Amino acid sequence: MTLRSNRRDVLKLGAAAGALTGLGGWGLAQDGRGRTQSTPAMEGDEAPTVKRVIFIAMAGGVRTRETFGTPANVPNLQMMADDGVLYPRMRTSNLGHFGATMSIFTGISEARGIRDNARGTDPTMFEYLRKDLGLRQSDVWVTTSGGPQQTNYSYSVHPDYGPKYGANTLDGDGIFNKEFKELLDTYGRPKAMEESEQDLLDKVRRGIGRTEDKAENAAATENAAKVERYILEELTRGTSTLRGANSGDAKALRVARNLVSLFKPKMTGVVLQNADIAHGSFNGYSEVIRRNDEAIGEIWTAVKEDPELADSTAIFVLPEFGRNKDLNSRRGLDHGDGSDDLRYVSGVAWGPGFGKGRVVKDDVRTIDAMYSACDALGASPELAKGQKLKRLLA
Amino acid sequence: MGAPKSPASSAVRWSFGIATLLAVGGVATAQSGAGDGQDGRTQARPVFALDHHMLRTVCLDLLGRPPLPEERAEWLDKDLRDFLKQTTSGLEFWEHWLEEQLYFFLLIDNFRPENEGVKAVPEKLFEGRLNPREAVHRIVLSPSFELRNPGADTFVTVVMEQLAGMRVQKRIRDLEIGKALYDGKPGTFLKHHGDSQADVVKICVESKDFAREFISREYERMLHRAGPKKPLSSWSRSFHKDPAEYRDLVRTWMTSEEYMRRLEEQHPLSNRAFVNALHVDLLGRMPTRAEAEPMREALDGLGDSAPLRSILARLLLDSGRVRVPSKGELSSRRDWAASLFPRFFGREASVTELDAICEALDEPSCQPSTILYALLSHPEYHRF
Ligand SMILES: [Zn+2]
Repeated sequence: MTLRSNRRDVLKLGAAAGALTGLGGWGLAQDGRGRTQSTPAMEGDEAPTVKRVIFIAMAGGVRTRETFGTPANVPNLQMMADDGVLYPRMRTSNLGHFGATMSIFTGISEARGIRDNARGTDPTMFEYLRKDLGLRQSDVWVTTSGGPQQTNYSYSVHPDYGPKYGANTLDGDGIFNKEFKELLDTYGRPKAMEESEQDLLDKVRRGIGRTEDKAENAAATENAAKVERYILEELTRGTSTLRGANSGDAKALRVARNLVSLFKPKMTGVVLQNADIAHGSFNGYSEVIRRNDEAIGEIWTAVKEDPELADSTAIFVLPEFGRNKDLNSRRGLDHGDGSDDLRYVSGVAWGPGFGKGRVVKDDVRTIDAMYSACDALGASPELAKGQKLKRLLA
Repeated sequence: MGAPKSPASSAVRWSFGIATLLAVGGVATAQSGAGDGQDGRTQARPVFALDHHMLRTVCLDLLGRPPLPEERAEWLDKDLRDFLKQTTSGLEFWEHWLEEQLYFFLLIDNFRPENEGVKAVPEKLFEGRLNPREAVHRIVLSPSFELRNPGADTFVTVVMEQLAGMRVQKRIRDLEIGKALYDGKPGTFLKHHGDSQADVVKICVESKDFAREFISREYERMLHRAGPKKPLSSWSRSFHKDPAEYRDLVRTWMTSEEYMRRLEEQHPLSNRAFVNALHVDLLGRMPTRAEAEPMREALDGLGDSAPLRSILARLLLDSGRVRVPSKGELSSRRDWAASLFPRFFGREASVTELDAICEALDEPSCQPSTILYALLSHPEYHRF
């Protein structure tokens, strides 16, 4: 038995003990799948439980001044904060977009090159969730907007985690774009495979290559078939035609919304990027924030209107860092002045059992959010350096 | 893209008699076959004789694509050194080199440089009118690089990181000076005077740090491992002195003992190489940019691109563009199946593999395209 499984067993025992003795204000509850999670100890009523999380890294560098400092820009996020918990003092690390966003998912602030295009060394939230909760790959998705670099968030090269615990990662703009759709239209969609041909195909694949490949084949087949089907269907849904300054972000958010409704994953991560247009255009940046708020609002509505999701889904939204205090010579906003506008951002958390209309003025960190998301679902990010977000629960 | 598979985890499946190849001068004795089909026969072949595996791997490492049918016909059993000489002297070598540099700088998709200065790079390198250092300098001075890395902080950070291999978090002072230069203020940046954004680039690209960073990056790209320390610094020194020597260095690397070790390993095929491979292996030609880019971009949009790779393989097979024989046209199913393995996997098929394919072809619903699809979506096709 590994140290980890020991630890989980201890947690389970703790859960049972907590339930039996009703200790303190907080107990640990299990949901029948061996998961443990912190829930308010409520008498009689069933404690609200988080079964799914939507985690939106509003990356690209977004200041509080243009979000909760200008509520007209973010009516949906404001409503979410009014019904959830707002953290106006989230401390960030200026590590460049790639490093800072990576740290949101790993819970560890670590320097990375701005254009590094490689997996990180620390496990991500997605790996913790899959490993701790025994989730399938199709339960954990990440949609992104920033091209190939961002697909590195799906898993790390950590020897105890890594690709076998990775998330399905889709870059909205990379796949659902005009050129790719046209290419598919030119070539003609692949014919649906008859069942007998599929069986033969599996048989041939099994007959080829090394033994390890056979296992790899079998494990990948179920997930691959699901992803294949999803991509081909999504290409007919109009995501490819989304336009505008935030088109990459809009696609990432649209894909996320569709995934949430279709597959109801345990974890749906979203990584945005278009706000970085701010380097050259303040107005464009504000427009991106407004449009992204609208698209986040659509996801929130989809959650609230789905009876299976409404009372069991938590949403976290936070930028990776802010931007400079002053405009640059192009009337844009860079990032690198070390100001509080850059170093502190505002994040919001909404979900069952979370506080309502609460503003937590204390300093927290952007790396704390993943800790709380994992905790809400019952996973423990053992290597993360963050801690649970303060005063999150009701 | 993606995590390089550690060499330790890669299977060593084929023996090339490398010790023999390295030890004997002139003509060495090498095994003629590979895999289960070996029968112990030997024949006289040149040192570094190209077999299917070596030819496929070298082509993918150097040109980002498998061998074309005519290259297989021409080069099998010939000397690797002659092949390297010819390949690295061609325009395609530099075209691929530019693609790899643009990818490294993430100057792709909307950020791909379309200015003449960058477009002319392969031609000029080929004609010897530009060296790789000057070529990188051009790339970094392109408007696309500026667009990709907007603002003083991002621009100077990326130049320091990507050109000189520095971690800016440990060089805050240098970063601040570089940012001042970027804004047009004079200063001493990395021991050199400058007062402009262009100076930031020039100082970095002409530094010894650039030579070291560039050479180790290129070595790692082609050999899939970090370079050995001592030789690396001597290669970097000679590159710094004369960047035109780059091609000779590449030839040295590709015939080194380290490369022979690399040939025993399997590494993941990048999405861009996969797209090229699919076209070369099925259509016998490279894709046009208009064909390749949307596929590559879409594949890069997935953390695990295997499902979409399958879709693309099927797309091409079903498109009517690939000449797939009907079952009736196959005079010998076994021979046809055997011909696919060197072409797609760079090795001979084993007896059991051929049995499995022939057995499947006996089923009425199994078509030759089913077999092709099975091979192209098999994990082995996605490594090299
Ligand atoms: Zn930026």
